[in-house]
Amino acid sequence: MPDGSLIVQSDKSILLEVDHPRAEEARRAIASFAELERAPEHIHTYRLTNLGLWNARAAGHDAEQVVDTLIEHSRYPVPHALLVDVAETMGRYGRLTLHSHPTHGLVLESTDAAVLAEVLKSKRTKGLVGDRIDDSSVVVHPSERGNLKQALVKLGWPAEDLAGYVDGEAHAIDLRPTTNPVYPGEEAADWTPRPYQQQAVDGFFHGGSGVVVLPCGAGKTIVGAGAMAESKTTTLILVTNTVSARQWRDELVRRTSLTEDEIGEYSGSRKEIRPVTIATYQVLTTKRKGVYSHLELLDARDWGLIVYDEVHLLPAPIFRMTADLQARRRLGLTATLVREDGREDEVFSLIGPKRYDAPWKDIEAQGYIAPADCVEVRLTLPEHERMVYATAEPEDKYRLAACAPGKNRVVERIVADHTDDQVLVIGQYIDQLEELAAHLDAPLITGSTTVRERQRLFSAFRSGEISRLVVSKVANFSIDLPEASVAVQVSGSFGSRQEEAQRLGRVMRPKQDGRTAHFYAVVARDTVDQDFAAHRQRFLAEQGYAYRIVDAEDLDAVP
Amino acid sequence: MAATFTEWVRSRSDDELVTLLRARPDLGTPAPSTLRSFAARAGSRTSLDRAVAHLDAGRLQILESLLALSDGGPPVTLERLAAAIGAPESGSAIAQVLDRLRAAALVWDDETGIHPAPGLDEVLGPYPAGLGPAVADGPDLTRLDHLGPAARHVLDALTWGPPVGVVPAAGTDARRAVDALVDDGLLHRSGSRHVLLPRPVGLALREGRTHQAPDLDPPRPDAREVPDPSTDAEAAAAALDLVRRVARLITAWDDTPPAVLRAGGLGVRDLRRTAQLLECDEPTAAVVLEIAASAGLVADDGDSPATYRPTVAADVWEGSDDADRWAALALAWSTSRRTAWQVGSRDEKGAVRAPLAPDLNKPWVPRLRDQVLETLAAQPGAALGVDDVATVLRWHSPRAVPPDAAVAGLLREAALLGVTGAGALSAPGRALTADPDPEALADALRQVLPAEVPEILLQGDLTGIVPGRPSRELARLIDQAADVESRGAATTVRFTTASVTRALDHGRAGEDLLSELASRSPVPVPQPLEYLVKDTARRHEALRVGAAQSYVRAADPTVLAGLAEDPALASWGLVRLTPTVLAAAVPASELHQLLRERGLLSALEGPDGRALGRLRRPDRLDRGRWSRRSGSGAVRTTTDEARAELVARMRGGTGGSGGGASDDGTPDGRGAAGRSGPGTAGAAVVRPEPGDALAELTEALRDGRSVWVEMVGGAGALERRELKPLKLDGGRLRALDADREAELTIAVHRIAAVEPTD
Repeated sequence: MPDGSLIVQSDKSILLEVDHPRAEEARRAIASFAELERAPEHIHTYRLTNLGLWNARAAGHDAEQVVDTLIEHSRYPVPHALLVDVAETMGRYGRLTLHSHPTHGLVLESTDAAVLAEVLKSKRTKGLVGDRIDDSSVVVHPSERGNLKQALVKLGWPAEDLAGYVDGEAHAIDLRPTTNPVYPGEEAADWTPRPYQQQAVDGFFHGGSGVVVLPCGAGKTIVGAGAMAESKTTTLILVTNTVSARQWRDELVRRTSLTEDEIGEYSGSRKEIRPVTIATYQVLTTKRKGVYSHLELLDARDWGLIVYDEVHLLPAPIFRMTADLQARRRLGLTATLVREDGREDEVFSLIGPKRYDAPWKDIEAQGYIAPADCVEVRLTLPEHERMVYATAEPEDKYRLAACAPGKNRVVERIVADHTDDQVLVIGQYIDQLEELAAHLDAPLITGSTTVRERQRLFSAFRSGEISRLVVSKVANFSIDLPEASVAVQVSGSFGSRQEEAQRLGRVMRPKQDGRTAHFYAVVARDTVDQDFAAHRQRFLAEQGYAYRIVDAEDLDAVP
Repeated sequence: MAATFTEWVRSRSDDELVTLLRARPDLGTPAPSTLRSFAARAGSRTSLDRAVAHLDAGRLQILESLLALSDGGPPVTLERLAAAIGAPESGSAIAQVLDRLRAAALVWDDETGIHPAPGLDEVLGPYPAGLGPAVADGPDLTRLDHLGPAARHVLDALTWGPPVGVVPAAGTDARRAVDALVDDGLLHRSGSRHVLLPRPVGLALREGRTHQAPDLDPPRPDAREVPDPSTDAEAAAAALDLVRRVARLITAWDDTPPAVLRAGGLGVRDLRRTAQLLECDEPTAAVVLEIAASAGLVADDGDSPATYRPTVAADVWEGSDDADRWAALALAWSTSRRTAWQVGSRDEKGAVRAPLAPDLNKPWVPRLRDQVLETLAAQPGAALGVDDVATVLRWHSPRAVPPDAAVAGLLREAALLGVTGAGALSAPGRALTADPDPEALADALRQVLPAEVPEILLQGDLTGIVPGRPSRELARLIDQAADVESRGAATTVRFTTASVTRALDHGRAGEDLLSELASRSPVPVPQPLEYLVKDTARRHEALRVGAAQSYVRAADPTVLAGLAEDPALASWGLVRLTPTVLAAAVPASELHQLLRERGLLSALEGPDGRALGRLRRPDRLDRGRWSRRSGSGAVRTTTDEARAELVARMRGGTGGSGGGASDDGTPDGRGAAGRSGPGTAGAAVVRPEPGDALAELTEALRDGRSVWVEMVGGAGALERRELKPLKLDGGRLRALDADREAELTIAVHRIAAVEPTD
């Protein structure tokens, strides 16, 4: 149509004009098969990828639908080669299927004998399959189910896994209608899962296994709890660290019929195996004398569900272990499918296709995440510091710029502006943080802080007992600080996108009074610090957040 | 009615002969002197080979069928031909084909039926339509009805040709069947190891047909259908891309003209660099280069050492709009003889073929290009692949099949130009095949170009999006100030420090750039972009760079004291940069020399860096299109008047001297040759071309006639004898001299002339 809201480029990117009257319709239509790449204020960019198209195929969309959608909403004629390519790529999914055969066990079947011949000829599938049954099927060693799926994705012929799952050991789990207070002073409250959380649980359960993509602060834990209540089996939950494990436990006790005794923690300090066990990635990937010593956990019980928290951080050894767990239901939870190591295809083949996805802005618009105001504060270094910086060795430059003494004053200024808010100050370098903590008279949490002390400080912060907290990298992952409404970043680790999402997540939690969250980044002007900040700026702008730059001298002008 | 081909030729009207000369121009050069030698030439192998080479499969089929039928059997009529090729209902189509063949004197007819031109049997091979030799005594065809399965199997294998079979090993059933068939006369032995299926048997087995199916119409490959909007949109995108690339090439070559190889052409490294510059692969870059050169936009400057440089034509080109620029390129391409697809391959000597090299000129390219485009035009809306086009071209000239690489290369070029889009001929492409007028062509492209958009949407993540084709001013702005991330129906650009620096380098001030961006954006300039531009501008100005030819520096400022201020040295252009460094406007070597003359000892230093910017724009060449020498190898154009004149002269007879006046005008009057008769050797005025002599000999050999042969005898004198040719082979003629009752063998090169005896 000549006035459509989409422009489809031949490099497989799709531009969506946000202010177009039919933009919402087009966005919904393409969300199922195109990955949102960036969402700045006027024109959003989506991208067609093989994985995205296969995800769509797994969700039951066919190529014709995709092609029709593109043609219907496109302003200009859609490049022909692209349409052909979409049809071809989508046609590849499901040409191969994994089945449970009554006599042969696990078999790989194909509707197209040539495709089967092609993949069997490849070196990648060597040793993963057994005898050919006939032209269109071959026996698969049950232990290689995951490896085979991985190999097939790499070959461009992803297999649809219809072989089903073991039931697992049954265990009664229900969501409770009223929360069960966990902290002293916490009050019981009525609750139900939010609509999108319920949709995510349904999407996952119908699909079998797969990944649910929700922004930080959107309540991924509740999706996990919902899935457990649906499955009603013993469950293994894999999380990034101990703090996160405790939070999962608290949340499960709070919202499900599970009691503390039913939930075990399997970490460096405790090795409990209970009907619901929460293990850290770290303990699973610990090697003793060259072997993974805690692998028995995976077979300790007949797990009916395995939940992976923060899938985008899943370490490589866990992938290898997951390959052996293909007969069990798997739920991946993450804020982003983008992995810095580019192993998105392994998530696709080993955990499963994307089952639910909601863009941040949408959930924010529904009022579940606080809207954020992102400000970059540019600090001009004094002459002598610039000279030191200019003559420094390249490897020292970032540290010099990031730890510029002037930043202390700027942070102080910002903190002073937010007297009524809970403020987090986040940084990379311990000595800088110590200095800041002293300056602000605020407690400091670093890697060396004990878990007990950490939890104490977090509770105090949560209850409003303390309103300022200085944290290092450890705070980046999976901690829950419901009342932090202001985050100040003084140094980061070289502008990683993932880290940025996490940091923003810290302050994006829903605010009870609907206040705007603030995210400040303090940056030294004309240094590499500023270059890294450019990455951050790009990321945030792409995510659709308002992004401002303010000179440190003008801070007084900030409301 | 004529009884022989020669008589038939004579009986043609003048107009028909002119048509014949037009269809087969080689018959007229050099001009034959008589219609007899003209007819003989028309039946000669060389001329027939040429005439047959460009016949399409339909005409060849009719010719083959006619040849196969005309040896023995009833006279060949139109109906019989139609039945033989299996198309009894396409009589009128076959009649048309026959008319065209007749016009080219490849078939002729008399009251007995249609005949192939003499000599065609040699040209089309011994087994026309896969049928074996005709035999004198026809075998008993009724035996065909009583064959055993083994014999039937043997005959089935030979039925549709080739008619030659290998004799099976002795003792097998097949061998016994073959022996029985030979005994029955249904197979003929050919040597000890082969058997032949005689033509009557073959025809009987084929139920009187020569071909399984008619092949009168060109094939229509089963191709993917592409909707017109898709085709045109992709064509427009390709066209714009090409124009953009050529423009970029011109700018780049202005700055750094690449060297011309000694043998002509552009070196491998320069090609690679060009490909990087144009953001494409090397074959594509080669096509862009060739098109730019064909359009006369870049050329060899002829200096020593020679370099390729933009020409003054490029100035004009750069000043016109996208559509006009494209039209100029497309027109140049449509007549180009360049084989750009051969770039990178190796020639016979093993040398890599370079782009722009003279040996990539091939005269057959325009003809093949036209054929390819016609093929595409014949199936509008169909995306024809290389194989599809090659199939059609093979039908059009089965005896001169164009190389697939050339077809693929031309299709690729067409796609790069936007003459095709998504594989089908685009609207601008149709305009190019229809009307090679620059205005019309540019208009055709304008019709399909997306609307120009004068606005760019600036976003907070430092990208900008032009939701359509940027207008020229906008294109220039984003070209300077941003990096393109994605091209297509829309253009996505990103502003980076580097891109903003580029704009500042072009002499824009930061504030100007911001205000221009603001004026072209429907939304306010996002704050991050504003900061980017301002920050970059601030840093850009912090360091200053100027131009100097050379410098002089000293450890001790006193050495340089006074130099810069000395009026006597004003011509050196000395500028004091610091107390210890002076910049000069004269070359380093000169400065060095001048300082010496002034009594200052100085040492020359290697350059630490180069002055930025161009001091003077290099001159552009004022020269037309390169590599196009007029008339070289071009087909000589002959007018119909000239042809008619030639026909009249041939009818006129012997040419210059007597006898011509008595021409009675009857078409079949035995003209000049008859009257001149066997005269004395010295009086012979007819000096036909050697080729004619051979043709006459061949004809006489075929008809079993005697001819007058004028030859150079052993003593070097001309001898004239009446000979009956027996065999013409390997450059020798074996003939019977009836008068002397002796056989003699003459080397063909000793034969000066051949004339009929009657």
